[in-house]
Amino acid sequence: MTEGADRHLHPATIALRFIKEAPQTLVALPAALAFSSRSGLSGALYLAAGLGVVLLAVKWLVWRRFRYGVGAAEIVIESGVLHRNRRSIPFDRIQDVDIERTFLARLFGLAKVRIETGAGGKDEGLLDSVSLAEAHRLREAVRARRAGTDPAAGAQAVEGPAAQILFAMDPPRLILFGLFNFSLVYIAGLFAILQTFDRFLPFDIYDPARWVGLVDEYLPARWTFGAIAAVLFVAAALGAIAGVLRTVARDYGFRLSLEGDRLRREQGLLTRKEAVISRRRVQLAQVSGGPVRGLFGWSGLSFQTLGAGTDRGGHQSAAPFATRSEIETVLAQVSPLRLPPPPELMRVSRRHILRSVAGTLVPALAAILALSYWLPFAPALLALLPLLAAAAALERRFHRYGLTEDLLFVSRGVWRRRLWLIPLGNVQSLSLSRGPIQRRLGLASLAIDTAGASMINAPRIVDLRGEAAEVLMGEITARRSVLRYGPSPGSVPTQDELVG
Amino acid sequence: MENLPLTPMDRGLLRLMQLRGAMAGGFLLAAAAVGEAFVERLVDLPFGLLLGAALLILLYLALLAPPRRYRAWGYGMDAEELQVRRGVWVRVHTVVPLDHVQHIDVSQGPLERAFGICSLVLHTAGTLHSQIVLPGLARATAERIRDEIRGRIREEPA
Repeated sequence: MTEGADRHLHPATIALRFIKEAPQTLVALPAALAFSSRSGLSGALYLAAGLGVVLLAVKWLVWRRFRYGVGAAEIVIESGVLHRNRRSIPFDRIQDVDIERTFLARLFGLAKVRIETGAGGKDEGLLDSVSLAEAHRLREAVRARRAGTDPAAGAQAVEGPAAQILFAMDPPRLILFGLFNFSLVYIAGLFAILQTFDRFLPFDIYDPARWVGLVDEYLPARWTFGAIAAVLFVAAALGAIAGVLRTVARDYGFRLSLEGDRLRREQGLLTRKEAVISRRRVQLAQVSGGPVRGLFGWSGLSFQTLGAGTDRGGHQSAAPFATRSEIETVLAQVSPLRLPPPPELMRVSRRHILRSVAGTLVPALAAILALSYWLPFAPALLALLPLLAAAAALERRFHRYGLTEDLLFVSRGVWRRRLWLIPLGNVQSLSLSRGPIQRRLGLASLAIDTAGASMINAPRIVDLRGEAAEVLMGEITARRSVLRYGPSPGSVPTQDELVG
Repeated sequence: MENLPLTPMDRGLLRLMQLRGAMAGGFLLAAAAVGEAFVERLVDLPFGLLLGAALLILLYLALLAPPRRYRAWGYGMDAEELQVRRGVWVRVHTVVPLDHVQHIDVSQGPLERAFGICSLVLHTAGTLHSQIVLPGLARATAERIRDEIRGRIREEPA
């Protein structure tokens, strides 16, 4: 039965895959053989050529046996050389069609198409690769079918092609963003590259005397303040350049646009990526920032979505480096999300500082005691203990929460500042917990569970006053059910009315 | 949400906890008995020290700890939500809005079967607590709760 599956991937796919896999197969194996046996270089070359032909034949066979097609109600994908597999993806299950173009694919004019169904399994409907025109044709076909079968999406799909750009980053913004992505990790990467080529370098990179010698050559004074400052400056400059390069590669031409009930994100310099965020599937929004970028009014916006293709723990970046008003523009399209209203958010209990210190004091004391066994001056470190309290107080300053009719706000973090915007209708469960120290101090922590939340990035309000926590939990569930069922029983709004 | 009046679990859960504690303690006791035989040759410990300690732990696990843990458990349900309380050391109070429950399991292991109880497992779309477990319900109670919740589950958003 092959009805419907009438198309092959683009023939250049064979070349593309061959190029991708050739280095490992054609170099590694013959090279290993050349070393282990006595056949030498010519033998290895013959082997490489033979392997190349076999590999090419296999790629061709796989390509030949892979077929797909757009049917009346579904997309059909047939694959497998020996074990045949036929998969149908019904149109009304398809969320959208994502298009990704790596650098190599762009050279060939190809695009990788991913059919999103939101089932969470990856490579569900992966067409790797078709021509760009074919990718757009597929997407349009899916759109048209969806508009036909789904009356709710129909009205919005009419305005489809007229996409409205919600957020974009121009090159100066991108470079500024890159400077904030300053990273020293890449210096280690640079060393790794140097190490690989070290036989071509005139010196041993791991010989410190050489480094000092180099510094000596270029700087008149030995290990003066100036020399150290110069080394630090070079390290900082390298870190900044690395940050800018990485950011430009990832986010060049970043654009978020609105198309019907979807947000479309495009980004990347060499690898062009397109992703789609369904507005109805957004579970919560997160605004993230840091102390320095916060000072200049910059922060990032991401959405936590249900199911569909996710990066970084279920979060989809929507505007990585934006002003407050730009974030408001994007949020306005995803009701009921909005930034917290002017009456500032509330802080958690003052006793949070006590609890925090109580939690860290014992390990800190133990560490100092252990150290003073070897270091006579270790007890002097006791003078640093008040810093724990200062850190806890600072942390409390940035840990706030607030509740409106339909949203819960939670903010947390001094260095990595995060603000969660949680529509009450999306709360899956609430957990109030009290540990032994918290019970002594009359405190409680409230964890809010949402769909798609990751372990480390889930909203949690730590150390509320016990009664306040009970009241807050009660208010959240009460307002939630008003949203859901209305003030009087009978009118039960659907999820779509609430979120969409 | 008001704090709903909480129903304690079936007494069978207490007996199950005691049995599990006794099994863990018994295992420890056996290990101590073996240790007693070997340690004597290496270090000069007074005879019965290990065994005595293991016996105390057994008593704690089988007799002292289970009633406290059992009493910490409780649940309450109204038309819109299920509330669960648990925990001795860290006390946790969980509220699950019923319209978001994805599906419900009633499960029963061999030991639970022996005590005539089963567990009710609520699966939500959340990821931190995607399963909310209510252990130690009488079969009839578990099935009644399951059927009530089933009536509250609504069509999930696409």
